[in-house]
Amino acid sequence: MKQRPALILVAGLVAGLGAYFGFYLISTARYHSLQHSPEPELAWLQREFHLADAEFTRICQLHQSYLAGCMERCRQIDQKNEELKALLAATNTVTPEIEKTLAAAAQLRAECQKKMLLHFYEVSRTMPPEQGKRYLAWVQEQTVLSDTHSQMGHRMTHNE
Amino acid sequence: MSSNDPTNREAMLQRALCVWEIKDPLPPRFEEQVWQRIARAETQAPALWALLSSWISRALARPRLAASYVAVLLLMGLLAGYWQAQMEKNRTMESLSSRYVGLIDPYKTSGP
Repeated sequence: MKQRPALILVAGLVAGLGAYFGFYLISTARYHSLQHSPEPELAWLQREFHLADAEFTRICQLHQSYLAGCMERCRQIDQKNEELKALLAATNTVTPEIEKTLAAAAQLRAECQKKMLLHFYEVSRTMPPEQGKRYLAWVQEQTVLSDTHSQMGHRMTHNE
Repeated sequence: MSSNDPTNREAMLQRALCVWEIKDPLPPRFEEQVWQRIARAETQAPALWALLSSWISRALARPRLAASYVAVLLLMGLLAGYWQAQMEKNRTMESLSSRYVGLIDPYKTSGP
């Protein structure tokens, strides 16, 4: 009888801890499985934009084909950056070669962004209309519309 | 030599202290009382714990209070678990969305 209060005290603590860990583990289980899936980023996309299996499979195909082209463009960008680096190291003025290389790098960037936008439109068309619209708005905000120039402008207004 | 001289006064005090004797006897059971006071002082801290322990025992002996105590801890556990899970969920989703953007945009760096 004397042990009963101690038992209740311990039971309360066990119940509290059990509730905490139980709820936490059950609630986060699907996010942990998302992180450990073969392609977590695409698994996230499926979950975030409520994609059916057929839509998800099609988007995975689009993604793979986009990445293949993207890798080639990345290689070209790296090559152009190396050229620019070498040219910049050799002089302290803007030479016609530097101008030409900068223009080519800008052209590559524009090409890259065009392909990226085309990919976004294609992916958004594969999604249900409402989700496609949401995806497009979000992804454009994260990529082509999030320019470093605007960030610099923001920083300058902060410094004023 | 004046009695106001500080050196002289100190010498006088030293002499007085050397001849000073306590003639009054100690009160009866003086030593026993001292030991009792020490024992009382030592038992004061555990008494607080005993008080708290007996209060908890009395409170938890009442079924309604005991049930409320368990229910409150259960609820607190659930809320803490929910809050922690939400934090974890937001962190995971944000990290995966950044990784997706990093995958499709070669000009995007993954870090801030």
